[in-house]
Amino acid sequence: MIETMRQVLQDVLGQLKHQITTYLPPLLAALIILSGAYLAAVVARWALQRIFKGVAFDRFLRRSGLAFMIDGTGRLRATRLVAQTAYWLILLAGFLTGLSVFNTDITTQMIQSFVLVLPKLAVAGLILLAGFWLSQYLGRSALVWSVNEDIPHPRRVAGAARLLIMFVAVVAAADHLNFARSVFLAAFIILIGGLAVTVSLALGLGGRDAVRRYFQEKAQRDEDSAPRSLWNHL
Amino acid sequence: MATAIVSGEALRASEAIGEADIVVGIPSFNNARTIAHVTAAACAGLAKYFPHLRSVIINSDGGSTDGTPEAVLSARLEDARLLLLATPLSGVHRLSFPYHGIPGKGSAFRLIFQMAARLNAKACAVVDSDLRSITPEWFDLLLRPILGAGFDFVAPYYHRHKYDGTITNSIVYPLTRALYGLRVRQPIGGEFGVSQRLIARYLERDDWDTDVARYGIDIWMTTIAIAEGYRVCQSFLGAKLHDAKDPGSDLSAMLHQVVGSVFLLMEEYQDVWMGRAESRPADLFGFRFDVGLDPVEVNLERMLTAFRHGCEDLAEVWSLALAPPTHEAIRELARGAGAFHMDDALWARVVMDFACAHRQRRIGRGHLLRSLTPLYLARVASFVIETRSMVSAEVEDRIEQLCQCFENDKPYLESRWARRSKS
Repeated sequence: MIETMRQVLQDVLGQLKHQITTYLPPLLAALIILSGAYLAAVVARWALQRIFKGVAFDRFLRRSGLAFMIDGTGRLRATRLVAQTAYWLILLAGFLTGLSVFNTDITTQMIQSFVLVLPKLAVAGLILLAGFWLSQYLGRSALVWSVNEDIPHPRRVAGAARLLIMFVAVVAAADHLNFARSVFLAAFIILIGGLAVTVSLALGLGGRDAVRRYFQEKAQRDEDSAPRSLWNHL
Repeated sequence: MATAIVSGEALRASEAIGEADIVVGIPSFNNARTIAHVTAAACAGLAKYFPHLRSVIINSDGGSTDGTPEAVLSARLEDARLLLLATPLSGVHRLSFPYHGIPGKGSAFRLIFQMAARLNAKACAVVDSDLRSITPEWFDLLLRPILGAGFDFVAPYYHRHKYDGTITNSIVYPLTRALYGLRVRQPIGGEFGVSQRLIARYLERDDWDTDVARYGIDIWMTTIAIAEGYRVCQSFLGAKLHDAKDPGSDLSAMLHQVVGSVFLLMEEYQDVWMGRAESRPADLFGFRFDVGLDPVEVNLERMLTAFRHGCEDLAEVWSLALAPPTHEAIRELARGAGAFHMDDALWARVVMDFACAHRQRRIGRGHLLRSLTPLYLARVASFVIETRSMVSAEVEDRIEQLCQCFENDKPYLESRWARRSKS
């Protein structure tokens, strides 16, 4: 009995020793690599913040409205953006290198999948960013236009425009990633088709009189007051 | 240097004429109804006041489909001769050809100035083609200060109905005056006299293809003349009565173009206006007299409704455009019951905040400028309520008060503007 227990304990300790000797050195190595990567990332960020100027990129960020979109205060600068990007890229590279030290099937597979997917993820991210920017821009256009043209519920009009554009961007990103492609595509077709049918029905049946009345009133309003008052502003 | 847009037809015409002392430019677009009268007034004015000088009248037409160029050419010289029996009309040429480039008043002006430069003209006057109140004297008043007194730029000075020209009265005049320190009452009047050296300066510039070539051309010319230190004066032309036109144009587009041009020029000339305090009057030529004016209809309720709706729906845009205290004051104004009143100080802050937001590109510039519409309508409504029972002179005093307010508050603009420079 005691001999059996001793045997079991020896086996357990042996396994533990084996695991420690197998995994601890790579774990330590991975930690050292990660620490090194972290230090390198911090240094790179510090250096870039001092060396990189990116005046033209700053201008692009400001003029495109991305500066305010990403950072509400509008103080986003190319230097900060580039430094942060470099920081995270070095950290990511360090993490992947650290993982590769283990040299197991799982880690190798993880790294390979990640490296393969990374460019696609980046492109999908860009698609979403562009979609977000466009949705904000066109949503705001719709809002200002609706207010100035006295269209009912301007915020809803703007919200609908934003939602639609963002949805298109999500469909495009999902399609690029080959992720639930058919689901998104079907949802997209259903949404657009539904919208078209709804608008057609609304205009053709229920809202026909209302729309006619609205346009008649608007035309009358324009005729009555707009030409005189508008021209006289200058 | 601006790209030459003088066509072969215009070249041949200018070569045939050789040289001229005076050029009168009349940009037009579908003005068949009035342009013959304007052309006849120009013929008569040149013949009566400058008979010894060689003059050319140029109509630059933007592709009219109502027979405007034909109306110019068929403007009956006999009538002019009848008007001026003692003065021969020889030396007065009339040319009519469509201008090229982007359709707009700016392109028409560019063509006129290039022709004036080719003809080596000493002075050039430009007048709108929709004027009903133009007389031959206008050409004397626009050209004499240049030819006789050495001025470079003559701005018009009119009597207008108290509710006419509200963009001028509430934004362009107070802001331009506060910025550049010269009181030019009608900076976007539409009629100007320009000297040879200022024409050369205009043609040197390379921004003819920008938005300035649309509604902005008037303020562009005036601002360059003032900011670059050219000699600027005004001439009293009487009443400005023009054809009711452009019914399709919308107010927000107008604000976009006019106010956008003022803001763009603010950026270009910030070194000129920063630190420039107070203002001085510009010299005024002509004999001032009171005139009868066309009434102007104003729909107050519509303006106030537009403002209140704007306040509800445009909060996300205004929160980016306006400083928090200004935005809060606007919200308070929209909530307030009783008589509506937007005071001068608040309006000045609104305009200055928009100028800074425009420079900083906090949001798309088009969105920003178009979102000014409800605020502008609120200001106009407040002005109409306040001046309902006032006569012209009293209204002019009110506008003077507004201008003083802009001038007094200029340090606020400078501090916000400078803050933007640093960030």
